Amino acid sequence: MRCAFPAIIIAVSVSSCGRSAITADRIERAFEPTFANLVQVQVSWLRVPPVTASDLDVTASCRRTAADVEAGAGEWVCKVRWFGPDRQPLRDTFDLIVTPDGCYTATAEGEQLGGVTLRSRDGRDVRNLLHTFEGCFDTI
Amino acid sequence: MNLQRAVAVASVECSKLSAQVKTRVALVAGAAGPFVFALAMRVQSSVPEDTLFGRSVKESGLALSLVVLGFSALWVLPVLASIVGGDVFAAEDRYGTWKTILTRSCRRSEVFAGKIATAFGFALLATAVLAVSSVAAGLLVIGSGPLVGLSGTLIPSSHALSRVALAWISVLPPVFGMTAVAVLLSVATRSSAAGIGLPVVMALTMQLYALVDGPEVVRRLLITSGFNAWHGLLAEPSYHGPLTHSAVVASVYVLSSLAIAYWLLRRRDVAA
Repeated sequence: MRCAFPAIIIAVSVSSCGRSAITADRIERAFEPTFANLVQVQVSWLRVPPVTASDLDVTASCRRTAADVEAGAGEWVCKVRWFGPDRQPLRDTFDLIVTPDGCYTATAEGEQLGGVTLRSRDGRDVRNLLHTFEGCFDTI
Repeated sequence: MNLQRAVAVASVECSKLSAQVKTRVALVAGAAGPFVFALAMRVQSSVPEDTLFGRSVKESGLALSLVVLGFSALWVLPVLASIVGGDVFAAEDRYGTWKTILTRSCRRSEVFAGKIATAFGFALLATAVLAVSSVAAGLLVIGSGPLVGLSGTLIPSSHALSRVALAWISVLPPVFGMTAVAVLLSVATRSSAAGIGLPVVMALTMQLYALVDGPEVVRRLLITSGFNAWHGLLAEPSYHGPLTHSAVVASVYVLSSLAIAYWLLRRRDVAA
């Protein structure tokens, strides 16, 4: 038994030539609705008029930072185009750390989306959900 | 095999366990640990940002339970899984009691079944204690605020509670897999240190490998991958592929480990 499992693992790994399940398409398909949902939650926390996901019209374009390989876990950059609550077009960039199990941590570049906390209309400090957030997607 | 005699063996093993300091300490630590963590989170300003749901830990008590789950997967669950399984057979070698119990009215298969039931029962109990305690600590110390899920949606606390419960249930297959491996090592090495220690080292090694972007198929064969299968339950829409995969992989570990352990026990010459 103690020898069987390592043997199986080595055998399968040697025969494994498939590409990684962490692809730009999968990340973009997970990132776009997650970002739109977080904007909606953030808007409700800030006590400003609600927006719908279709109003936001989020489009993400992601690429792996290491230029030699197009897919795989590690550092990614996502450029996001979306429409703000007052319909102005916005562009933001997020740095992603993606783990092999399909979870990522996205951190906004710059201060365009605000700091770690934001002040709501009723004067409360709330966490800025868009500053850094996590998500997961299916890799199977 | 007589079921009644196997139950009698399990009953005796349970009474032995209840008298052991290590099992009491494990259960008390599992019950108290989440409350200590929750109080620390409430008092201090920083949050465990490097863990999933770590940023939400002050907003929702259920996020705290998931942070405990994520942290426990690293070594706490492997320890709880193997602390009894890795010792339940080797203890008879340590005390030299195989001759005594196998010349009584119980057959080896009945002794094996009773000890296995005890090992799996303790792994289940310890995981349940940690789960219930972490949820209770979160709800009582932090509060029942809604949870921001892994797809950015706000999950109401009543709905989130059932998903958190399912998340804890989802780690049972890999926990049982670790218990079975511990049983096998306990039988094969006749050493409690190896029976308890090696599965924990194995779990840590597997999880280190999982951080490396190696071949996907190898990562899926690791039993510890099942400790993260719950992520899909907190996404919207939820996905269950990793849960099914985890259950299948864990079943293979359980069945093969127990089959080999039983074969080793059957052919052992205790009369010599």
